[in-house]
Amino acid sequence: MLDIAHALRVEKTMLTDLQKKIIAAIQGDLPVTQRPYLEIAEKLGVDEETVLAELKTLCDQGIIRRFGATLRHQKSGFTSNAMIAWRVDEARIDAAGKEAARFKQVSHCYRRNPAPDWPYNLYTMVHAGDEAACRKIAEQISKKTGVIDYAILFSRKELKKTSMRYFQDAD
Amino acid sequence: MTKLDRIDKTILNRIQSNFPISPRPYQDIAFELHLDEDDVIERVGRLKENGIIRRIGGNFVPGKLGFVSTLCAGHVPEDIIDHFTSVVNTYPGVTHNYLRDNHYNIWFTFIAPSEEIIDHYLTEISKKTGVTAILNLPATKVYKIRAHFDL
Repeated sequence: MLDIAHALRVEKTMLTDLQKKIIAAIQGDLPVTQRPYLEIAEKLGVDEETVLAELKTLCDQGIIRRFGATLRHQKSGFTSNAMIAWRVDEARIDAAGKEAARFKQVSHCYRRNPAPDWPYNLYTMVHAGDEAACRKIAEQISKKTGVIDYAILFSRKELKKTSMRYFQDAD
Repeated sequence: MTKLDRIDKTILNRIQSNFPISPRPYQDIAFELHLDEDDVIERVGRLKENGIIRRIGGNFVPGKLGFVSTLCAGHVPEDIIDHFTSVVNTYPGVTHNYLRDNHYNIWFTFIAPSEEIIDHYLTEISKKTGVTAILNLPATKVYKIRAHFDL
């Protein structure tokens, strides 16, 4: 079985109990108040300064990938979302992945192993105003990367969208 | 679609990443954008109420926390889509799930403490639903993860 952490060259970080508690506290929704971190600190029974310092460390260590607001993109005008799966020659995959990633309409771009009845190995998530715009972006990516074998999978329904809850017990 | 004015858009573009980690984050945002702290708080509160902002918080690299993540896809017959979805969605590690127009029509992300646990859950899902065609496609390389939308 493929070790993903290894494949992605991500080293597991040793976390303190306080870090786990802080992670559990900020994986939900920060209160929209003047002093949101003070509220968290009070709940955890530590100083606000400690919370701020630990949060900065989590960001510096790359444990927090992004800290901020997550939008419902459908509501903010990006109504169409498509996953485009590409079948790319492995010798060209890094070049193709990087080229596809450069498109601003591409939010995510990954390499994944193909499966016996699923030949695709590069995946891009594309967001645009409508399906025609998504198709056009796919054509542009195809032109840029030279990859002509691809499948566009439009999302027809959002069945679940939530954030992972880590270290719930640390609360 | 809710109408966003220029100030709403400016705020949304500012707070999607690098949200200030400081005693008064909204005051810092207000200062940068030449706005008033109370006004920023009021607008952000409103943008959350009307659903434009899903949440404000941290987004993590699963691997750094000792977790693994993968993308799965099931080939699910039309008449059992609801059942399959309700089974899959009960797992807390399933964070995103979409119906897509393909032979593999149900696509979900799965985060768990190990590959073995994910395999175990997928087997369990197959047993509960009768759906045996489930792809497990962990990422082996990341070229881009962005969740910032320029408004």
